[in-house]
Amino acid sequence: KMSKLLENVLSLYLTILTLFCLLSYSVVTVHSLLTHMVSIRARNWNQTQYRYNQNTPMVFVGGVPRSGTTLMRAMLDAHPDIRCGEETRVIPRILSLRQGWGRQTEERWALEDEGVSQEMLDAATRAFLLEVIARHGDPAPLLCNKDPFTLKSAVYLSHIFPNSKFLLMLRDGRASVHSMISRRVTIAGFNLSSYRDCLTKWSNAIEVMLSQCMAVGRSRCMTIRYEDLVLQPRATMRRVLRFLKSPWHEGVLHHEEAIGQPGGVSLSRSERSTDQVIKPVNLEALTRWVGHIPADVQQDMENIAPMLRKLGYNPKANPPDYGQPDPEVINNTERVYLNTEYDIQTAFQFIQCSSRIRVASYSVIISSFPCLS
Amino acid sequence: MRKQTCNVLLVCGVISSITVFYLGLSTIECPTARSRAAQHGWAVNLQPSRNLSDPLQLPEEYNEETPLIFIGGVPRSGTTLMRAMLDAHPLVRCGEETRVIPRLLAMQATWSHSARERVRLDEAGVTDEVLDSAVRAFLLEIIVGHGEPAPRLCNKDPFALKSLTYLSKLFPKAKFILMLRDGRATVHSMISRKVTITGFDLTSYRDCLVKWNRAVEVMYDQCLAAADGNCLPVHYEQLVLHPERVMSKLLQFLDLPWDTAVLHHEQLIGKAGGKNNFVPIKSDPVKNFHSLFPFTFTAFPDNGSNMQVYVSLSRVELVLSM
Repeated sequence: KMSKLLENVLSLYLTILTLFCLLSYSVVTVHSLLTHMVSIRARNWNQTQYRYNQNTPMVFVGGVPRSGTTLMRAMLDAHPDIRCGEETRVIPRILSLRQGWGRQTEERWALEDEGVSQEMLDAATRAFLLEVIARHGDPAPLLCNKDPFTLKSAVYLSHIFPNSKFLLMLRDGRASVHSMISRRVTIAGFNLSSYRDCLTKWSNAIEVMLSQCMAVGRSRCMTIRYEDLVLQPRATMRRVLRFLKSPWHEGVLHHEEAIGQPGGVSLSRSERSTDQVIKPVNLEALTRWVGHIPADVQQDMENIAPMLRKLGYNPKANPPDYGQPDPEVINNTERVYLNTEYDIQTAFQFIQCSSRIRVASYSVIISSFPCLS
Repeated sequence: MRKQTCNVLLVCGVISSITVFYLGLSTIECPTARSRAAQHGWAVNLQPSRNLSDPLQLPEEYNEETPLIFIGGVPRSGTTLMRAMLDAHPLVRCGEETRVIPRLLAMQATWSHSARERVRLDEAGVTDEVLDSAVRAFLLEIIVGHGEPAPRLCNKDPFALKSLTYLSKLFPKAKFILMLRDGRATVHSMISRKVTITGFDLTSYRDCLVKWNRAVEVMYDQCLAAADGNCLPVHYEQLVLHPERVMSKLLQFLDLPWDTAVLHHEQLIGKAGGKNNFVPIKSDPVKNFHSLFPFTFTAFPDNGSNMQVYVSLSRVELVLSM
């Protein structure tokens, strides 16, 4: 009887000990999680306070430039709960600086010797990114950032922002390359005098971004084809908003009406896609590249840009069949082609003269409209 | 059967007690661990509010009001000596060079010097205000997280003072210490000890002296122009010849009470937080280098007189000074 009592006492003692072990473990980990939060309070025109920290849900939109990244972020901006804003330009630079400090080189050992651990660099990078993303535009429940090349660091971003999601824009490389060459959009590393070089670079870049996206995982990184977005915007945006766990809002299909509006789309005069994004979603840019690729490059397309086939674009077809357009989009495209004043007017009456939102003057129509004060 | 189960239970009990003891030890270590000591102006504040009137108390938050101390100058001008002596003061914590801070500041300088880039950034909503708060957040995370907390935090990155004006804009209450030294001594030191510094061609005294002149001019001009006299130039030669006089003036400039520890920093070898333990040795530097590297360290001014510097030093700084 005594030994049985002893056994019971011992087992009770052990259960208490195990519980205590587990508790102290969790306390230690929770403590280390709490000490590194950086929250930012931002006040918008509504006078509500928003606090952001490393656990705030966030969306990163990216891809190779000229892949519809601006269109995607503009459509998301039209949603009242989401704010992306313009390209920050500084975020990719900080990320590449950070990657340089993390590579397994002498630099890293020197840093660790000096007591600058990788965790500390993560905390500092996180703080910098949070400040820029939260402060460069109006606050919103879901913050978003569009800097095309940030998706090259998707894995790292997913690590420092545990609740972040990623949207990778995919597009037929021939279309992207034709866009950057014909519009003379300088991108570091791309030689704009050669279709061959640009296509090679495009293939390399999208390969890296796609592998990063897959490493992050399907629950946190989603790929969107530009062609799907312009041909079937309703279905595509439904998928996107479901992925982001945001409610549907009809406004995302009419982003051109939200330009310059509070809580809407803010455009930068210096960005190269601004003159296109003021128009409603249309099919103008879908197959503009056809006939502009040099013949020798076309012949060699499979070898120059192997990612074309991997992404599902037939390198031999000029153009491949991207899909069937929705009637809404056909309507929009007709309106844009006819250049009916009503549509440009609708867009322009909301554009203010502040330097942030004035549109780059490419066409006569744009410059003939007076600015509202 | 019962005896066996009893034994098994006893063994399990012993193991769990050991685990609990170990966990208990690690929980005690946590608050003083270097990388976890940081608290920020905007962070979730875990500690109860403290009385800030006592200067020995740690500040509750770290933000743009933090009275940081920045030490800099052209490398090989006594910057490490200065920060080692300040580290010896109980209220100050400097720590080693961060190396990353000058890189970020240099990047910010390129952005702000290009008018075109400034316009583009402005159009993107990344105004000066936004960039300033971002750079400030980055700097604070590095400086605060870099070592133990202290009432006065300090940072030593020689070339950080090339952005002195910008730093004083980010941290209006910060104080700056610009180490000055005879350029010939500085250049001889970097060439004879083969200390690689970006932009300095170590095969040419002429080139190094020209670069030294340019660098020190940039920093000195900003130091003189600093608002409210927040920058104090300190001559290395005066510091080693008359340490008490110079340190007393310096501590007054920094609004710190006098402490004789700053003159006896040799007593602070392997101070808590330092990874390496160093033994002071008063002898010929060449002999030292050959026989005792990397376990011992001494720093000598180039005129040959014996001067010792200790406190917590990294292996990199060790190499640079041998």
